[in-house]
Amino acid sequence: MITRRELAAVVAGSGLAASAEAQTASLPSDLATAVRDQNKLMGEALAKFGIPLATEPAFQFKA
Amino acid sequence: MTDDVFFASISELNARLRKREFSVVELTKAFAERLERLGPRYNALANPLTEIAIRRAKDVDDELKQQRFHGPLQGVPFGVKDLLAFAGAPTTWGAKPFAGQVFGENATVLSKLDKLGSVLIGKLAMVELAGGPGYRLASASLFGAGLNPWDRTRWSGGSSSGSGSAVAAGLVPFALGSETSGSILTPSAFCGVTGLRPTYGLVSRHGAMPLSWTLDKIGPMCRSAEDCGLVLQAISGSDSKDPGSAGKSFYYTPQYARKLTDLRVGFAPDDLEWAEPGARPAFEAAMQVVKSLGVKLVEVKLPAFPYGPVISTIVSAEGSSVFEQLIASGKVNELADPKQIEGLKAGLEIPAKDYLKAMRIRTLVKEKFAELFQQVDVLIAPSRYGIAPKITEPLDVGGAPGGRPTTPAMAALIPACNLAGLPALSFPCGFVDLMPVALQVAGPAFSENALLAMGREFQARTDWHKRHPAVG
Repeated sequence: MITRRELAAVVAGSGLAASAEAQTASLPSDLATAVRDQNKLMGEALAKFGIPLATEPAFQFKA
Repeated sequence: MTDDVFFASISELNARLRKREFSVVELTKAFAERLERLGPRYNALANPLTEIAIRRAKDVDDELKQQRFHGPLQGVPFGVKDLLAFAGAPTTWGAKPFAGQVFGENATVLSKLDKLGSVLIGKLAMVELAGGPGYRLASASLFGAGLNPWDRTRWSGGSSSGSGSAVAAGLVPFALGSETSGSILTPSAFCGVTGLRPTYGLVSRHGAMPLSWTLDKIGPMCRSAEDCGLVLQAISGSDSKDPGSAGKSFYYTPQYARKLTDLRVGFAPDDLEWAEPGARPAFEAAMQVVKSLGVKLVEVKLPAFPYGPVISTIVSAEGSSVFEQLIASGKVNELADPKQIEGLKAGLEIPAKDYLKAMRIRTLVKEKFAELFQQVDVLIAPSRYGIAPKITEPLDVGGAPGGRPTTPAMAALIPACNLAGLPALSFPCGFVDLMPVALQVAGPAFSENALLAMGREFQARTDWHKRHPAVG
């Protein structure tokens, strides 16, 4: 089983972003758990990143 | 026909057609036969369209005889990633659950190329569902692992695998690929071809498989920057059928390109730390060529953002929503790559707060890149930091050799520019162990002419893009 520390290192590193198609996780045999853990850690990384309250998402609704 | 035809540029082929050195039918038959014969050697061929192509080629021959000229793509064969719909023929999206899928309408880009007399000879293999939220193995495709024409034990890159290897092996003069985050640039770099990721919205995606509505782009993969310019002009333009259309066209105007001596090129010196040791001399030599172009090199740093989590969250959430029915039906389990299967399922559980946070950070990414492009006109970096991996290697075990460098350099340039919707051109810049490596130049939105001008000048001083593998 991959540790949370290992997953955290993966998510924190910009190497993950080398491409969405080639993420840099070392996956254990329990893929389902690993992928969910990875998504959770990504959520935590996003939560930690402070942004101004007024920042709107990067999409527009066109009437 | 000989190698000088199979590896000729678009302009050369069109000129020879006009001179009647050969007919469009003869050229189409030659490429189609080669694609059918050699495509499987690289797992590059999804579906040949030879009979339809020959019928179309006869029409184009008639047009040429009547001197009805439609530009440099007229009579030139091409292939497309099997994520684009071609009416009446299978469009598999590279995935077993969609193996029998047939659409009744052409993708907009295919209609545009057809109108200009370019002849579609085959659908090209791809990573299943364009990679979805991530995959682990090169074999993540209905067609098997994309094999690199420079070394068939190595991967062609993904997800536009067949497009990269077919252009590299001279099976098609050019191809269309698509990029959500790296899927044009990566196979272009690994296969030694020139690939252009256009600005988001410049090329219609109507008729293309969606993976991420806010990230997907379609672009050319060719033998040169010049050819990319010609193809981009043909496929760009407003399309009311694509909600993401920017409503803009592109005109390839090398004659009006800015002087390179006026161009400020941003680079990160610490990029070399990310490169595989064996590739560093090639990148250093390539940067010397860039310097010789007379550009002003400016040291820059990429704005600091958690690019990985941002883009992965967006692709996962949007991709899993796109394929919600596939997941609910259980047919998702027919996909080849276990990581992709689990990633699609897990993507449905990404909280709205995470997706929205990622999209809000993306707003800031766009703003910071706009600021960065006040300081420099383009950015330059290795397209990938090394050569194509072996097909047996897991693709999700990455990072620089000897541990991760302490500085981020431009390692996140591909996801960063995809998040900001910005264009990039990848062009071959050398060889390492007989395998190609490449540089990418990225610029502000709709700066494709500047990127192409730089690529063109680099290619005027080097011959890396003219080299091709020994093909049987």
